[in-house]
Amino acid sequence: MANVQPAVISAGFCEHASKRSDVNMAELVNEAVEDCLNKAGSVEWKDIDYVINGNMPAFEGANMPELWMTDHMAAKNKPLLRVTTGGTTGGSVFVSGYYAVASGLYDMVLAVAFEQQSCGNTTVGLASVALGELSIYPSLGYEATRLRRNMGAGAAIGVASYQAMNYMRRSKATEEDLARVVVQNRRNAAKNWWTHLKMPTITIEDVLDTPYISYPLRFGMVCPASDGACAVLFTTEEKAKQIADVPVYINGVGSYANEPAIIGVDCGGAGQTDPCEQLGAVKSAELAYSQAGISFPNKEIDYAEVYSPFPNQELQWVERVGLFEPNSAPEAYLNGVTALNGEMPVNCSGGVNSTNAIGASAMERPAESALQIMGKAGNQVPKTVHTALGHGWGGAINLISHVVMADEPQRKFK
Amino acid sequence: MDKVAIVGFYQVKPGLDLMMSPYEMLFEATRGALDHAGLKRDDLSTVIGCNNDYYDGKTISNCFKVEAGGAYMKDESKVEMDGAHAVMYGLMRILSGNHKLAMVYGISAPSCFPYESVRILETDPTFDRPINLLNGYTAGGMQMRAYLNAFGLSEEDIAKVAVYNLKNAAKNPLAIPEAQKTNITVDEVLNSEMLSAPLKKLMYPILCDGVTALILAPERQARKITDKPVWITGVGHFNDTYYLGDRDLSSCSSMEKAAEKAYKIAGINNPKSEINVAELFGHTACEDLILAEAAGLADKGKGLSLIDTGKLNPSGGTMAGYTPAANGLTRIVEAVKQIRGEAEGHQISGANKAIASGQVGFCAQNNIVYVLEGGE
Repeated sequence: MANVQPAVISAGFCEHASKRSDVNMAELVNEAVEDCLNKAGSVEWKDIDYVINGNMPAFEGANMPELWMTDHMAAKNKPLLRVTTGGTTGGSVFVSGYYAVASGLYDMVLAVAFEQQSCGNTTVGLASVALGELSIYPSLGYEATRLRRNMGAGAAIGVASYQAMNYMRRSKATEEDLARVVVQNRRNAAKNWWTHLKMPTITIEDVLDTPYISYPLRFGMVCPASDGACAVLFTTEEKAKQIADVPVYINGVGSYANEPAIIGVDCGGAGQTDPCEQLGAVKSAELAYSQAGISFPNKEIDYAEVYSPFPNQELQWVERVGLFEPNSAPEAYLNGVTALNGEMPVNCSGGVNSTNAIGASAMERPAESALQIMGKAGNQVPKTVHTALGHGWGGAINLISHVVMADEPQRKFK
Repeated sequence: MDKVAIVGFYQVKPGLDLMMSPYEMLFEATRGALDHAGLKRDDLSTVIGCNNDYYDGKTISNCFKVEAGGAYMKDESKVEMDGAHAVMYGLMRILSGNHKLAMVYGISAPSCFPYESVRILETDPTFDRPINLLNGYTAGGMQMRAYLNAFGLSEEDIAKVAVYNLKNAAKNPLAIPEAQKTNITVDEVLNSEMLSAPLKKLMYPILCDGVTALILAPERQARKITDKPVWITGVGHFNDTYYLGDRDLSSCSSMEKAAEKAYKIAGINNPKSEINVAELFGHTACEDLILAEAAGLADKGKGLSLIDTGKLNPSGGTMAGYTPAANGLTRIVEAVKQIRGEAEGHQISGANKAIASGQVGFCAQNNIVYVLEGGE
């Protein structure tokens, strides 16, 4: 659809861990940038003409850190833009990389997303998402004790457990189904070099043996808090053909905003009663598919990376983005459809459930999908991947990013 | 570059404390911009917000601005720099051909947060933050000293710029009343409180709450929407290194590069004669001159001559009211008003080609410049 066809030619990562205390934020970012450029063939720092950066602003206690990290990501004497949208940040940075090329203004764009969660306190940062909005409730006669009970589960998992219960009620999914998703993710992560929680021998019983954090989510089902960074290099179709062995063309992007939902009640205006309905994800996917000329996503897409810190979200997202019929994902996971050698492999990188450097996570999804198309992923699927998607969510589960990529550019039919 | 127009805009009248929730302020601006362009919310295809989580005191501060910002079920994103940078992203989305109408807004409410203190979190955490000497005042002071020394100017010269800005603000109905000083004198500026030598309080802008929104459209749509489209004919965006010691503070190389690029795209060879109006986002009265010189409107060290021509910041610039995250947007909107001939008390007659700039970082580290033109 775009006037210029953007393509991904390289994606780089740093090693993710719970505490990368051997490096500071700038050095962490630099590792991913170096890795990205080392894999990009002839491209050098001086060839880059636009740099886009993003992370979760409040987590490290650093405002606009890209300004002092300039020299560590090739951004001196170049344009530098900061895009942040909460958990979706990485996806939004990826999408803005697409637009920088698609606009025709720039033709070698470096997008970098990172998070060094060990530098700050993520839960404190996340609590401030909701607290300002919830403060109105006591004045409306909402009892403080009830408010505390609703918030008691903490930040992200508070939203996720409501979502999980809504999903389980709809789909009749069980706790085993949730645990099965975790097992698949963590075993996949063990085969991918940059991931955080590598558990090659984990079983469903192991997961179900851990205590509840907030029903139905158990300790073993929750994503870790990681330090990490991801960098992706975008360019035009013409340049990509010269530089990359397998250029990955971005054929559709969508980033719809839904109304915010906290603990199942909405604080921003109207009421969103079902946080697993996810109209934003449905619409973003529809937009991206229509741009990419995809009519049957469940048949035309070969590989998917969805953003799922909690296992219920993985089941829910693969349905909402059109890969499976509603409520059928648990069965697909049971039958191995989503496994490495399945028909529709999902999150073979290990997913967000195994590695969550929040600002970077939503960029790692399309980045890993691109690597699967190139055939260079850490945990490469055996079949040939022609078309893949990368999805992200953030905010109060209301900001979505959705990217569709393929080994063929989308031709205009106008 | 394909032609993209600004077809509608709205600036909420700023104030030291507007006593409004951010959502009320934002709704007024986005609704106002749509009404100004004669459009409905349904017509929008994308919304780019600009706000800063630290300035809003809230993580993911854009996630609750979805409804008030007009972004519900729209392709949305957020730029966390200056409003002018958000316009860049909106521009990219329009130029890509994927979108036909983009809303861009910038919002902050400094009445709710200590802006100057929060800027400590913008400093490098290893060196500058523990030392805790670098902030908006000291950076402005060092920059002013460097500028005065390099060109043999005096503090009085900068005070003249401050007087010029504050008098211009008095003619701008959207300036805050605290900045509208018709009878201000150079002596008053020089005798005002010292912020960081040689920077005085009246050379530094006053923080205020505010929101600015504008709407971008490609050529075909723009001509249908409005009789007075203002075209973005050039854009340049550059970032310098962070450390002040590595930069020549008496000039601004990122602004020079950005302006050069914008002029090249717009086909401007002689900015001094071709540009009628410059709305530049300077942090201090002194920085206004540095940026104007870097943009090629005057020779280096000769920026002061611009105040006689009146084409630099006729609205009073940021001295008319400083709204973090919306400053650059306000500058663009002011330039657009000049070209449309709608700047009430501060209209420059015959203005047809203008530049507007936005920036972030200490001593204008990251600059973005737009060339705006009226007519066909």
